[in-house]
Amino acid sequence: MLELIMCIDDDPITLMLFRRVAQRASFAKEIINAMNGQEAITLINTINNNSNQGKKPQLIFLDLNMPVMGGWEFLDLLNASNYFNLNNTNVIILTSTIDPEDIKKSKLYPNVIEFLSKPITVEMLDYLNSKL
Amino acid sequence: MKNKANQISLIYTLFALFLAIVSFKLAKQYSTYLDCSNFSFVKDIFFISITGILFRYVLSKNDKRNAEINKNLRQTNDKLKESNDKYDIVAKATSDTIWDWKIPEDHLTWNKGIKGIFGYRQDQVGKNSKWWFDNIHPEDSIKMSVKLYSFLEQKTEKWQDQYRFKCGDGTYKYVLDRGFILKDENGKAIRMIGAIQDITKQKEEENRLKLLETVFTEAKDSIIITQAFSDDNQIPKIVFANPAFSKMSGYEHFEIIGKSPNFFMGKNSDLQEIENLTDAIENKQECFLEIILYKKDQSEYWVRLSFIPVYNHEHDLSHWISIQRDITEEKKLEKEKEILIRELTQNNKDLKQFSYITSHNLRAPLSNLTGLLNLIDDFTIKDEDLKEILRGFKISTHLLNETINDLAKVITIKDNTSIQNEELQIRDIFKNILNQLHIQLEGIKPQFNIVYGNVVKINTNKAYFESIFINLFTNSLKYRSKNRDLVIDIIITEEENNTIKIFFRDNGIGIDLERNKNKIFGLYQRFHDYPDSKGLGLFLVKSQIETMGGTISIQSEIEKGTEFTLTFKSQ
Repeated sequence: MLELIMCIDDDPITLMLFRRVAQRASFAKEIINAMNGQEAITLINTINNNSNQGKKPQLIFLDLNMPVMGGWEFLDLLNASNYFNLNNTNVIILTSTIDPEDIKKSKLYPNVIEFLSKPITVEMLDYLNSKL
Repeated sequence: MKNKANQISLIYTLFALFLAIVSFKLAKQYSTYLDCSNFSFVKDIFFISITGILFRYVLSKNDKRNAEINKNLRQTNDKLKESNDKYDIVAKATSDTIWDWKIPEDHLTWNKGIKGIFGYRQDQVGKNSKWWFDNIHPEDSIKMSVKLYSFLEQKTEKWQDQYRFKCGDGTYKYVLDRGFILKDENGKAIRMIGAIQDITKQKEEENRLKLLETVFTEAKDSIIITQAFSDDNQIPKIVFANPAFSKMSGYEHFEIIGKSPNFFMGKNSDLQEIENLTDAIENKQECFLEIILYKKDQSEYWVRLSFIPVYNHEHDLSHWISIQRDITEEKKLEKEKEILIRELTQNNKDLKQFSYITSHNLRAPLSNLTGLLNLIDDFTIKDEDLKEILRGFKISTHLLNETINDLAKVITIKDNTSIQNEELQIRDIFKNILNQLHIQLEGIKPQFNIVYGNVVKINTNKAYFESIFINLFTNSLKYRSKNRDLVIDIIITEEENNTIKIFFRDNGIGIDLERNKNKIFGLYQRFHDYPDSKGLGLFLVKSQIETMGGTISIQSEIEKGTEFTLTFKSQ
């Protein structure tokens, strides 16, 4: 079981569903949510500044289509700067897109380890668990 | 001569008689004074002397004249001989056939050319002018005789004509006949001599050239011929232009001759193309290009032109030939087409983007629904009404999900221009497909007859190949006949050009192809009223197989079954 994971999605139902499924799969002790990339960056900043607490998300679930800041922009920001010592955090893209361009693009980011199609299921989390 | 001899003889006789009489008279009168014998002797001496002198005079004069005549005669003879020799030599040397027509007697003789050139035997050759006229081609005969007789009437010196003359073998030769006429002192034509020249070859060549010339004059493409070189760094000057070029350019023929093709170029003529042409001419290489030219009224037109060097027998460059075609209309269409394609591409791109967004926006809430319904499974619901409502909710959501997923697949197939192929064992794939279907097969237990032939491997996209056959199997299961057990035959054969053909046949309820021929592989076409039929399967199959460069066709008969023929490129 992971200590802390982050879930970034603009849809509250998806976040709720994710929480419930994660609970059922006993995937993580704690889940922090962000409604878009910008919010996630702010959250990560805060965590980074309180690094002495040592609570960093071990895995980030990321949606692509979000208002304010989308998934790709968030990924670029996360990876671009050494300021965040989180930039080696593994990311799983969880989206409902079927555009092959998106799948191709995701392969350019070494820390994106999976490209999953919504909805999230217990089986998917079990699979991830075994993989990590 | 005879007269003169008689004259001399007569004069001599008379003179001798006269002398004899005079001496007789003298002797009689003076016989007393004269010794008769002496007188006679003196008289004889005198007579003999006179006669001797006379003879000498006459004879020597005669001699002289004879010698002169002889000399003249010999000279004439020599001339005659020489002339004869010359005639013989000319007659032998000439390839002409010579005829000699004595007009009053109508007697015509031919030299040996009639045999050598026209192939007549001696006994076939007629001796009068009728034979000559009879052998002239009927189409030429009247014209020729009119001309000949008018010549004979007018009695001019020379005559010539062209006509066709029949040969011994019945064919005709084109001839040029030239003759002159001999007249008597009254100016009447008494003899005509002619020489016939065989001009069949020239005539044929002439006809051939005339025919070739029609290419030049009648062609709808413009043709120009230019000099080999130019001395002013321009394209060599035009020496010949056909009517089509005049028509195309709007210039009169005389305005074109002597101009360089540069003359027809203007501000919108592509400089790069002109340079290419100039370079090609410099290197004596042929050249093809498309360029804008200007008409006389300065309107622009597009031509596609060739510039080809022409060499003479000595392999020296003698001319350039340029063939030009007006492609203005073509260019206009091309431009319109380009714009259309650009618009279509943009539209397509927009539509694709639109379908991805739509798909995403549909899938996002739908995935939530599916996820939530999955969670409900873990709850125990006691209320039967709620249970039923939730079941309906779940079935509908799943159906909606499947439809949306199928549509999403279609979009992705259409977008995937390059697909990944891998080499697969054909038996393994079918085994795998049947494994995936084993739940559906469980209850029905159809009979499978799969003939692999000598096909072992296939180079294809695994996901598409499986999807295609799962769709076909599912259709066969879904649309099986209730009256008989389902039998599915699959025959795999290898065709030429690395093509693999697969026949997939069932004995199901079939499709009415008469009514549905054009719709069978269309989107959202449903042919049977079955609750779980979405009208997507065959559309998907066709899209997938065509993306891989293959084909699919269908044969079907109601209540007999359906056969699909699929081809796959195995490369």
